[in-house]
Amino acid sequence: MFEQIFDTALFDSATRAMIPILLAALGGMICERAGVFQIALEGIMLAGAFAAVAGSYLALNSGVGVMFGVAAGMLISLALAYGTVTRKGDSIVLGIALNLLAMGLTGFLLPQLFDVRGVFQHARIDGLDRIAIPGLSQIPWVGPVLFDNTILTYVALLLVPALWVFLFRTPIGLRLRGVGERPLAAETLGVSPTVYKYGAVLTSGALAGMAGAQLSLGNVVQFAENMSSGRGWVAVVAVMLGRAHPAGVLAAAALFALAEALGFRFQGNGLPVQVTDALPFVVTLIALIAARKRFARLLDLTTSA
Amino acid sequence: MKHSKTVLTLAVILALSLVAAACGDDAEEGPDGPSLIYVTPNPIGVNKFLELGQIGTQQVAEELGGTWKTFESTNDSDRRANIEAAIDEAPDVIVLTTFTLVELADELSKAHPDQEFILIDTCPDEPAANLHCGVFREHEGAYLLGIMAGRLTETKEVGSVVALDIPFLHRYSDSFALGAQSVDPSINDTQVFIGGDNPFSDPARAKEQALAVAARGADHIFAVGAGSNGGIFEAAQQEGFFSYGVDVNQCPEAPGRIVDNNMKLVDALVVQLAKAVLDGTAESVVAFGLAERGTGVMALASDDELADSQCLIADHPDIVAEVRAARDAIVNGEIVVPDPLFG
Repeated sequence: MFEQIFDTALFDSATRAMIPILLAALGGMICERAGVFQIALEGIMLAGAFAAVAGSYLALNSGVGVMFGVAAGMLISLALAYGTVTRKGDSIVLGIALNLLAMGLTGFLLPQLFDVRGVFQHARIDGLDRIAIPGLSQIPWVGPVLFDNTILTYVALLLVPALWVFLFRTPIGLRLRGVGERPLAAETLGVSPTVYKYGAVLTSGALAGMAGAQLSLGNVVQFAENMSSGRGWVAVVAVMLGRAHPAGVLAAAALFALAEALGFRFQGNGLPVQVTDALPFVVTLIALIAARKRFARLLDLTTSA
Repeated sequence: MKHSKTVLTLAVILALSLVAAACGDDAEEGPDGPSLIYVTPNPIGVNKFLELGQIGTQQVAEELGGTWKTFESTNDSDRRANIEAAIDEAPDVIVLTTFTLVELADELSKAHPDQEFILIDTCPDEPAANLHCGVFREHEGAYLLGIMAGRLTETKEVGSVVALDIPFLHRYSDSFALGAQSVDPSINDTQVFIGGDNPFSDPARAKEQALAVAARGADHIFAVGAGSNGGIFEAAQQEGFFSYGVDVNQCPEAPGRIVDNNMKLVDALVVQLAKAVLDGTAESVVAFGLAERGTGVMALASDDELADSQCLIADHPDIVAEVRAARDAIVNGEIVVPDPLFG
């Protein structure tokens, strides 16, 4: 039974579940650091998923699809940036409004543009290919799980160390964090909070849009109404549980995805769906509470350095 | 804007009354024929299920020399407005479909006891005397699919990926397993449930579930996920297992990978129920199964339709013959498929 559950297909499945959450959560993390509570990830991911499928359908090219997804994500986050930064609006109210807008707009555009309802699946939609990295993909276990995936998977995984360095080892990262923690102090030093906050929110839009593209062109090759199905909210939680630190966010997303994939396997062995549905949340919470002390010390070390 | 809408409405009413008048002139029974109004919960678009409801409504009107109209809804508020507009016209029968309209049907049929309603695919707990529900015995068709899976499986492992763990959907999954085990009792069955926030429209989650069932060795997997089914079919194409669809013919969605579908023949149900209502013989709840030709699988269709269906079962005439015999046995009562919903 052990071999039947813990095989490479399980970790493969977990990786696919993790990447959209991770991409969106990294975006939410940058916003958090800049002092903007980014709660529109769910809607941006959905809009990104829709635009990616639309772009791929029109251009017969998944790369164009990803660009469409990123553009749609940035467009929605531009509204969020304008509302919260320029107009000093409440980011929670605006975020919820944008989530509803994305759900309504994609549901409306689906029949308008493609004359279908519910699900849009078409041979013209070019999915993201799995790209095996020569050499690395041959490593037993790790290879097929991590190094035989879509381009967006590699982008997401490389962003974790890249953002770590960016946030804690570069002047721009320092200023971004300064804007989030002490906006007034940053301003007196000539750092414009407006510019940094706009940058952070637009970046999060691009990343959450990319998350949507991975969902609708990578995980599956189709769009279904409201297909983000709460993954954006999980990303919001991952930002909080991971204390807006790249490593923490990765840990939260990975744990969540692994618990979800495990849940699917356990269901086959008779565990009720009600339990497996709750499993990702329970496991993630328990693990983070258990690891809290060590984890907090580790994060404090890296952030104060 | 508002003005042009009024003009448009008037034009539509004028056009419809002209059409109605024209029909009346041609038909033998003249304006005495029955009038029907079909109200949909969503735009028909390419929704085969809703389209079948319209075909059935049209067929009744044409056969009996009456008139028919369709009011398409797009959201919650105009669903109510459309049904109320239909009631204002006082047709002989108002035809409603799907569980989206169940609450409105219940409320408005009780508020208008003189108006006859038909509700397809669902029923409120205590329907009014003027509300006639047509529901399906989905388990009978699912059993036939199970027979196909039982014949075709090489690994002796079958499974279902189901949206939710509710008795209604066990009609599909349990009966599928029973059908397969009727061929070979040693066949093993695995059922998983999509769950999550959005079980009926989460293809990504459904795909992972299907891959997990396939990893256990199942080579025939029933897709009971409505809008999530596309993900299961993608998994079928990727891993090379075979799948089964629901409601309408889904075989063209993954050619060569879908064996057959558990179909609801909405048009047949509307025709039979509407005629019974017009005769005054309709009961409050009528369940349509294989015997009434209200449900079916592609293998029961005519040979030409089957050949054009892109369903894999068309390549197995011996199994088609066996399924047709099993259908007769279910209709005769020789085979009794237990109902997980009321059983």
